[in-house]
Amino acid sequence: MKQHKRGLAVCLAAAVLLFIAALLAGSPGPSESVQEAMRDAVLHGTGQVSLLGLMTVNPGMISALLVTAFLLLCAALVRIFAIPRFQYRPGRLQLLLEELVGLFDNMAKSNSPHRSRFLGAYLFAAGSYIFVGTLSELLGLQAVTVHGHPITLPAPLSDVNAAIAMGTLSYLVILSGGIASNGLGGVGKTLKEFSLPISMSFRLFGALLSGLLVTELVYYYVALSFVLPVVVGVLFTLLHALIQTYVLTMLTALYYGEVSEPSPQKGKKKKLRAENA
Amino acid sequence: MPLNINLQQILLHWMNLAILTGGLYFLLYKPVKQFMDKRSAYYQELEDRAADGLAQAERLKAEAQAKLEAADDEIHDERMRAQQAASDAAQEQLAQAEEQARRIVAKAQAEAEQSKERALRESQREMRELAAKAAKKLAAKPGADFFDQFLDLTEGGGAHEGR
Repeated sequence: MKQHKRGLAVCLAAAVLLFIAALLAGSPGPSESVQEAMRDAVLHGTGQVSLLGLMTVNPGMISALLVTAFLLLCAALVRIFAIPRFQYRPGRLQLLLEELVGLFDNMAKSNSPHRSRFLGAYLFAAGSYIFVGTLSELLGLQAVTVHGHPITLPAPLSDVNAAIAMGTLSYLVILSGGIASNGLGGVGKTLKEFSLPISMSFRLFGALLSGLLVTELVYYYVALSFVLPVVVGVLFTLLHALIQTYVLTMLTALYYGEVSEPSPQKGKKKKLRAENA
Repeated sequence: MPLNINLQQILLHWMNLAILTGGLYFLLYKPVKQFMDKRSAYYQELEDRAADGLAQAERLKAEAQAKLEAADDEIHDERMRAQQAASDAAQEQLAQAEEQARRIVAKAQAEAEQSKERALRESQREMRELAAKAAKKLAAKPGADFFDQFLDLTEGGGAHEGR
């Protein structure tokens, strides 16, 4: 009990000291106004980063590549070290992995019972990408812009290009399900939902960007940088990582199931053929 | 482009997502799912085997039940047959006893008849002897009424017999 009290006292003392130090040190002076910071967070007009010297890209692209590399590295490690040791009575890691795979697999099966194999794999990848990508902004990884300024890497999907890519790719996946199940009829069914890629893209973009803007706003003022980031930075990020993962995967699964459902005429034709045979 | 939309970067993101989807599918999703399917198949097989065992046990139970019922029927038949046999034997013994009784009665009746006839013959013979004796005595006493002497003799003979 005494040890706990002593630890708490040390933490409090450190926090107070850091707060005083921050106030005394003061800000180097805003290099840009809050409006410019907000605009830059949205448009990345001045915050471009070089991609291996080949081209300049938004920092979201770098985040996306890092998230992909991280996910693939984790997957490779799990594949090499964990999966060969899987047992019929699972341990904690195995249980977690099975829950994750089972979650997206069941989502695919329940929403698209006719065709769910590819959908499950896509939902798993998209869900992992959105969740881990959104959480990656908590790390505050730094990069250097082409102008030599340091920049904190944002969540990949707070970049409009990443959000559009995710939305349109999901739409293409839905379209592929429609074509695979119903041919041209499936294309018609999918094209009927022409607003889907836009809504999916900008929903993701808006949700992730709003989180980014609020965080930017909070960190813009030194006085707001205490206690508040725990709520804004951690809890909100966790919450909207979960929500956005669920929303995009669920929407994709729903529309995929809808367009890949065999049309009644096709079913009738198949039945007739089977009866004739 | 408005909002800094860049087609080249969108294509790069697509490529990134395609690599991620493929990589995660082959490295994580497929092996984990295969393992889960394998385990499901294993437990399904166990369940099927248990169901087969249960069905076999049910079948054996039904067979044993049928055998028990057949044995019960057989026991019932045997009992009925034994009862019938006992009843037949009793009837036969009764018939034999009746026959024997009838024979005994008939024999007794015959013997009684023979005794009666013998007694009758004996009495007739005695009467004849008495008559002969009386006739002899009458013939031996001259002057006497034969009829009265005969009656006296017979009365004296009857008194003698009554003694």
